Amino acid sequence: MNNNNFILKTLTTALLILAHFVSGAGAMDVETIIQKANNAAYYAGDDGRAEIKMEITDSQNRTRIRKFVILRKDEKDGGNQMFYVYFQRPSDVRKMSFMVHKNTKKDDDRWLYLPALDLVKRIAASDKRTSFVGSHFYYEDVSGRSLNDDAHTLIETTDKHYVVNNTPKDPGSVEFSSFKVWIDKKTFLPVKAVYLDKQQKAYREVEALETKEIGGYPTVTKSRVKDLLSGGETVSEFTNVSYNIGLKTNLFSERYLRKPPKQIRK
Amino acid sequence: MSKNNLLLKYSIEWPKTVTALMVIMTILLGALIMNIQVDTDPENMLSEDEAVRVFHNQVKKTFDLQDVVVLGIVNENDPDGVFNPATLKKVHELTEFAKTLSDPNDPEKHVVSQNILAPGTVDAIEQAGMGQVSFNWLMKEPPQTREESHKIRDLAMNNPLLKGTLVSEDGKALAIYIPISKKDYAYQVRSALQEKIEDYSGKEQYHITGLPVAEDTFGVEMFIQMAISAPLAMIMIFILMFIFFKNLKLITAPMIIAMATVISTMGLLIGTGNTVHIMSSMIPIFLMPIAVVDSVHILSEFFDLYQQTKNRRATLEKVMGHLFRPMFFTSVTSATGFASLALTPIPPVRTFGLFVAFGIMLAWFLTIVFIPAYISLLSEKSLNNFGTVVAAKNKKRTKKDYFNITKPLRWLGDFTYYRAKFIATASLIILIIAAFGIMQIEINDNPIKWFAKDHEVRVADRVLNEHFGGTHEAYLILTNGKKQSTVGEISTQVQKSVSTTLTAHDELLKTAQAIITNVEENAKTADVYFSKLNELWESVSDDMNNEDYDLWLNSLDALQSIRDQNQIFKNPEVLNYIDKLEDYMLTTGIVGKSNSVTDIVKKVHQELYAGDEEKFSVPETQNGVAQTLISLQSSHNPDDLWHLVTPDYSQANIWVQLKNGNNKDMEITLAGVDKFFKNNPPPVEIDYKWAGLTYINVVWQDKMVKGMLNSFLSSFLVVLILMSILFRSVLWGLLAMVPLSITIAIIYALIGFIGKDYDMPVAILSSLTLGLAIDFAIHFLERTREIYKQTGSWEATSRLMFEEPARAITRNVIVIAIGFTPLLLAPLVPYQTVGIFLASIMAISGLATIVILPALINILKTKLFKGTSNRKLQSEIDEQYKTTIINDINDEEQLEVIS
Repeated sequence: MNNNNFILKTLTTALLILAHFVSGAGAMDVETIIQKANNAAYYAGDDGRAEIKMEITDSQNRTRIRKFVILRKDEKDGGNQMFYVYFQRPSDVRKMSFMVHKNTKKDDDRWLYLPALDLVKRIAASDKRTSFVGSHFYYEDVSGRSLNDDAHTLIETTDKHYVVNNTPKDPGSVEFSSFKVWIDKKTFLPVKAVYLDKQQKAYREVEALETKEIGGYPTVTKSRVKDLLSGGETVSEFTNVSYNIGLKTNLFSERYLRKPPKQIRK
Repeated sequence: MSKNNLLLKYSIEWPKTVTALMVIMTILLGALIMNIQVDTDPENMLSEDEAVRVFHNQVKKTFDLQDVVVLGIVNENDPDGVFNPATLKKVHELTEFAKTLSDPNDPEKHVVSQNILAPGTVDAIEQAGMGQVSFNWLMKEPPQTREESHKIRDLAMNNPLLKGTLVSEDGKALAIYIPISKKDYAYQVRSALQEKIEDYSGKEQYHITGLPVAEDTFGVEMFIQMAISAPLAMIMIFILMFIFFKNLKLITAPMIIAMATVISTMGLLIGTGNTVHIMSSMIPIFLMPIAVVDSVHILSEFFDLYQQTKNRRATLEKVMGHLFRPMFFTSVTSATGFASLALTPIPPVRTFGLFVAFGIMLAWFLTIVFIPAYISLLSEKSLNNFGTVVAAKNKKRTKKDYFNITKPLRWLGDFTYYRAKFIATASLIILIIAAFGIMQIEINDNPIKWFAKDHEVRVADRVLNEHFGGTHEAYLILTNGKKQSTVGEISTQVQKSVSTTLTAHDELLKTAQAIITNVEENAKTADVYFSKLNELWESVSDDMNNEDYDLWLNSLDALQSIRDQNQIFKNPEVLNYIDKLEDYMLTTGIVGKSNSVTDIVKKVHQELYAGDEEKFSVPETQNGVAQTLISLQSSHNPDDLWHLVTPDYSQANIWVQLKNGNNKDMEITLAGVDKFFKNNPPPVEIDYKWAGLTYINVVWQDKMVKGMLNSFLSSFLVVLILMSILFRSVLWGLLAMVPLSITIAIIYALIGFIGKDYDMPVAILSSLTLGLAIDFAIHFLERTREIYKQTGSWEATSRLMFEEPARAITRNVIVIAIGFTPLLLAPLVPYQTVGIFLASIMAISGLATIVILPALINILKTKLFKGTSNRKLQSEIDEQYKTTIINDINDEEQLEVIS
């Protein structure tokens, strides 16, 4: 009896090790994949600047434009970050600015400056899945969703992509039941994400339409969110992207909201 | 007459062929009923290309608005009202359930889940401490504790957009607004919700309402009623006829004619591609009495004459000889009354009128062809116990007859003869009183009131409108009324503005002006001009030093403000004007609440300033408004804003919630808004226009009332002309119009006095009145003239008229008036209305005919019969007919002696 048990255990262990080697030849553990993807998507360089034009199209094909400059500085890869967003268009919101201190361990801090009211306002970050200035992008799409919020499973590895399914650990906190991400095997950039609603129906799709290598970093230069329910979409185009431009931490302080730093201009 | 004889001959000689042909026609046309397309949408009272409908649909598209099913949850038993964990859990479940609804058989029909308005789908703007503002779902998850429930209540109550719309001010009720992709999906949604709710236990009450629910539910129940009321009326008529004629086989004939007429007409209606609308669904009910009337005339007379001759053919020839002309004319006049509805501008009413007219003529044709054929097919034996003589004998035996109408009729005859002037004066007085009543008539319709008072839909409407701002929606659409400026005009403006912003900076000014000139030459539209200019100015600014750049930005801002001139609904002045307009609408007492972009701006503005009451106002500048709105757009539902304003801010929608669906209340609101605009000129040019179902109902009601009046007046005239031709005398023609005029006057006066609204069914019934009421007058006058020719004296004529002719009329009145009483039991008000109307029309017009007409004839006899006595008596004097009547009289007299 004891013997048998021993043999069984050994066999099982051997098989498991074997299986690991067979499948793991060049394969990666899912946590590593998503960490790399997170870094590629949100932490390129130590800092960066980009000019973004968003075109919001509604179900009736009416379009609206948002144009803004975004500055970013990372504390460390995968860690805290700071964002500064300066609006240029529509012109009646020109000079409006928005700042985020993204904290991985606690809630983000967010500020909004409304020049016409000469008002700096803190925005509570209790829910990051709200629209980013009326577009189909969420704040979370812009600043990144915490990896700890979901359980990740690698469901498929194709020639080009790792396909990871993400299920929220706190399903009550989000409007989706799960989302699937396609991660480019070479660049580790997430190139597509599909969200399923509580009825398991796809209702939202984010897709990278164009990627370029800029300053050695693979960068998404055009992306799109589609609202599959209403038929609306938002396309973002990134221009004049630069990395490692030496942004100082103090630029990301409340004081600069009213008077934008010169780095907003090229 | 020869044509009649030919037809009669054919019917009597080939009864089987005639019957077979009728059956085949009925089956063929009846088969078409399978293709039935039901249309219960009152919107279709207006044709699809009607301007107001086109606009309404455009508004729905522009502002992404759908027809809405309102689910109200009321909790009167909990001290916290609906704001307790148990109730809110159900609210949450019902919201999630509603999101999933769709018609498995029709992908076009579904709930528009992203536009559901419920605690779980709206944002609460709240102060989140530390001077923070947050946009959070009002109820992301059902709360677990009483405190959490209270928090939801307080947040909702604090939001003027939600208070009175989503939550009631007393906290006892909560509403879920469920938009649907198609209006005729409302009933299914209601049923699905009801089924779900059935499983719930608890103290909550659930109510489902909204105009689409009312309309769609009405449609469904209407067809159920069709299947119940029409056959019930049929059975009732059958029983009554049996009581009068006591011969099952014989009275089956009118039933067959009514069936054949109704089936063929409906078959033709459906077969010709018409949808069965609320109106056309009533065709069977309208046709049935009319189809039966002529047969009753024939049978009634056949009944009276048959035993004299014992010869079917001879009796038939005689009866048809008497009745052919009056029957033809009554049918033509009734048909005219209905056909005149084709003059109304309302498509379903047109269809209704034309097909009823067709049905009437078909019934007439079937009557003169089939009744003789049918009688010919009966065995002599089955006719043996038929006819007045037998009936009289029976009476002797039983000594009991509840339907002995002969005696009272004779008394009435004497009364009209000796009290003619009294009757005429009384009629005149009645007419004068009626005029007052008619002036009291209130024109109003309300689809909710189509349901009986205790109907679920009506109860739901009442309860929810007690709790909320109103579940009846109208949209007041404001549009920038300013004409688009030309590129040249704009450019001049821009030139002027840069010379201000860049004053004393010649270098920059020159650069700017050079670009302006260049763009102005190439731009064809204002839009291109602005975009190009903006783009070029921006690109130039890239290389400027910071000081120049700031100046340059000012110029860009100035350019934008010129561009934004058309975005009037960001203009604080305009928003404040809307605020005033909304306040004004509330003072009418009819509008329970309204929502507009102004309300949103004010609320967000307040919350940006930490909830400061003083800041519940519109920001002072256009940019301030824009920045307030973009803050709001950082919420979960940024697109909700576009229900109230277009993204280019050139058009705005004020969502007006009315406490009830009464058209007259909508009309008061319309007039109030007109007055407001007149007395308060807007700060910029603004055009305003209404949309929404409640408004559409007003438009078609208005068209219908006017259309009905026109069609009634024109058919009155046509009938008068027809009568004058029939009697070859205008005086006789006018006389024929008296009973129907009095009937209509009395009926509409009653409507005025008892305060019943003049609504769609009531309006339609005026044509029915005209059609039915003229019938009796024609029969009465035609017979009067015929008998007068024979007797030469009004006194003798009068006596004879109160025998068989008066009996036929009375029988008709009783059969139809009582026959339609089952309609009174229907849970739908229009059916009850039709039932009451039919009974009143028959009773009043029957009475008016046999009371007022003889009185008037008595007064006018010298004028009326002038020339008749000089004229040679008509070719055949019907001796046999005379004998019949005399025999009849003798019979009755004997009876009296015995009893």
